[in-house]
Amino acid sequence: MKNHPLQGKLAAAVGAALLVAAALFFISPLGAAADGKPLAPPSSQVAAEMMTRAQTSSLTKLSPPDQGIDNETCLACHATLGLTTELPSGELLYLSLDRATYNDSVHGKVGYACVQCHTDITGFPHPEVTAQTRREFTLEKYTACAACHQDKYQATLDSVHQKALAAGNTNAAVCTDCHGAHDVQPPDQPRTRIPRTCERCHSQIYDLYKESVHGAALIGEGNPDVPTCIDCHGVHAVEGPSNSPFRLFSPQICAQCHADREMMAKYGISTDVFDTYLSDFHGTTVVIFEAIAPDQETNKPVCIDCHGVHDILPPDNPNSTVMQANLLTTCQKCHPDATTNFPTAWLSHYEPSPQHFALVYYVRLFYRILIPGLIGGMLFFVVVDGVRRLRNRQSRRKERGDA
Amino acid sequence: MRDTRKYLRFPLSYRIEHWLLVATFTTLAITGLVQKFAASGASQVILRLLGGVETTRVIHHTAAAILMLEVVYHVGALGFRVFVRRTHLTMLPSSSDVRMAVQALLYNLGFSKVRPQQDRFSFEEKAEYWAVVWGTLVMAITGFMMWNPIATTRFLPGEFVPAAKSAHGAEAVLAVLAIIVWHIYHVHVRQFNKSMFTGDLTENEMIEEHPLELADIKAGVAERPVEPLALSRRKRIFYPVYGVLAAAMLFGIYAFVTLEQTAVTTRPPAEDVVIFSPLTPTPFPTALPSATPLPIIGVAWADGIGALFQSKCIVCHGSPSGLGGLNLASYAGIQTGGASGPVVVPGDPEASLLVVKQAAGNHPGQLSGEELALVRQWIEAGAPEK
Repeated sequence: MKNHPLQGKLAAAVGAALLVAAALFFISPLGAAADGKPLAPPSSQVAAEMMTRAQTSSLTKLSPPDQGIDNETCLACHATLGLTTELPSGELLYLSLDRATYNDSVHGKVGYACVQCHTDITGFPHPEVTAQTRREFTLEKYTACAACHQDKYQATLDSVHQKALAAGNTNAAVCTDCHGAHDVQPPDQPRTRIPRTCERCHSQIYDLYKESVHGAALIGEGNPDVPTCIDCHGVHAVEGPSNSPFRLFSPQICAQCHADREMMAKYGISTDVFDTYLSDFHGTTVVIFEAIAPDQETNKPVCIDCHGVHDILPPDNPNSTVMQANLLTTCQKCHPDATTNFPTAWLSHYEPSPQHFALVYYVRLFYRILIPGLIGGMLFFVVVDGVRRLRNRQSRRKERGDA
Repeated sequence: MRDTRKYLRFPLSYRIEHWLLVATFTTLAITGLVQKFAASGASQVILRLLGGVETTRVIHHTAAAILMLEVVYHVGALGFRVFVRRTHLTMLPSSSDVRMAVQALLYNLGFSKVRPQQDRFSFEEKAEYWAVVWGTLVMAITGFMMWNPIATTRFLPGEFVPAAKSAHGAEAVLAVLAIIVWHIYHVHVRQFNKSMFTGDLTENEMIEEHPLELADIKAGVAERPVEPLALSRRKRIFYPVYGVLAAAMLFGIYAFVTLEQTAVTTRPPAEDVVIFSPLTPTPFPTALPSATPLPIIGVAWADGIGALFQSKCIVCHGSPSGLGGLNLASYAGIQTGGASGPVVVPGDPEASLLVVKQAAGNHPGQLSGEELALVRQWIEAGAPEK
């Protein structure tokens, strides 16, 4: 059989490449993951955003002015109790201000002047009030905050509240709805103040939250580790359920605490929950959506779909949606035809072991031995065959050379 | 030595089967492994090219169904050869295959001078064929469990589903590696075997790879003679039997593909709650100072009128040097009046400058209607001090 010399070289090169590829497989993470090991959490912009959310930002400080209108000039009238003016809507616009309340606020303590926010006031009489309703008046005035808190204001522009406002929902919260106007206090002191603030508009959600494992620990024990509203939803760029990426990336929000070994050790909670979720069909799909289609909806569940959203309970609570006895009902939300055995098709965040999900453990073990054994045997056979053929060819060439 | 004599190794139908298998296997391998190794960047590039993970799954399922249809055909073609044509069972493994494998290894390692002489299907080819049969079976069973987890868990413990998933993924890795190491080496690297393209092997290739078969062909015993009558009799039995079997298998595939709707396509809301549910009464941005009524107990300076002026007026008009020279801080100041003259004309509120200014509205420190009415009463009563 005649062989083109190039073909032999090519064959040798391909053989060598195969060996390298096979060797790589066994030492690479690809090989290690052959049994469906957890996937590494993908880094994403959203996650990075969440890390920086809680950080405070620079503040464009306006120092209390020396000139202009002195606060006492304003208070001369506005400290008068019961001062009001009637708006076209028939609502009363309250014009009185309690001096002590203002002086106790974050702005009052530093001595900010009324006219630093009320920039339209330059003397008396004041410009006519054009707002038809009290809400309209608020919506006209709240942008004054942007003069000093530009970054916070910019952040709110991406929030669900601003989107709702832009869509015509005037109930959507603006700066002063959460922070107050004249009585601004540090918004997170005490920490229970945070959910209380959101409660003003989201009282039903607050009622669920306060009974949850997180809410009860915050309100009952003052626990500093549990999340308040803003730890999940963000502070100024508040995100909510109408935002598809928010749901899609929400497991990463949970993972911030639930993959934190140090924090979870305090409460005896496993940190495998995130990795085991990702290695499951549901989690893998969500990770793929996060990576390549973050704006698309998926019907695969994230943490909250099984554990609950604001009313999350510990899994040993009889009312928990993930309590053994309640699991089938929870599965049936998405798998309406599921029957008794179906819930155990989910590994319940366990890494398979001889104790938990032994069948899965032994199947994986079987292949962990079979794959390297069989492929290693094949490689040995193939390499030995290839070497023999090269030698044969060399000796034939030599014979021809001698002859 | 001219090498012109050709021997048909694979008729066209075999080759079509092979390429169908290549197409479905490759599709299944790519669309499956990118899901198994979803976190890798390469997987995500492929997933994106394929149009996302859900589309990739549709492609995977479609290729699986085509492969299962190919299995139905293969069983038929095989049955025909075995039961109707009664050809030699050349693919059946035997003890001689083990001997040949050992001999090949010994030869390759230099312990033997003799290469094994192989028949129509070498032990390498038999190993591969039966590996494909085994792999397809494992993939079909575990694939069924993953595709129909609800049906599976009606009969089996739930644990079988993740076990099937683990087996399916691991078997895929095994199959792909076996193809890369075993098939690619033996068919493409050792020597390029073109018979799956052309159908033929040359005489030299036959001598090298399948000397025993070549000897049989030359001796005229490679194919068993068939008697036409017996052939048609066997066909009459085979076709209906295979027809029933094929129908059963096709029904099985149909069930496989359509058995269940595992999950709802649109997820139910995670929480049933009214998002905007303000506390009532809706709180104002700033807590209101409570409007405590002024302690006006009577229509006299000392009974509350003085206190009213004290709260509303004295910021500007609180000393003899106050605005407009008016001092409303004391009863004496009322009597004195301001730069524009008297502010209060006892008994005549409408002539009193204080009332005129206030009634016009928009005076800083504006009195409410109720308060102005009290001031009018006081003036009418002669603006008494006590």
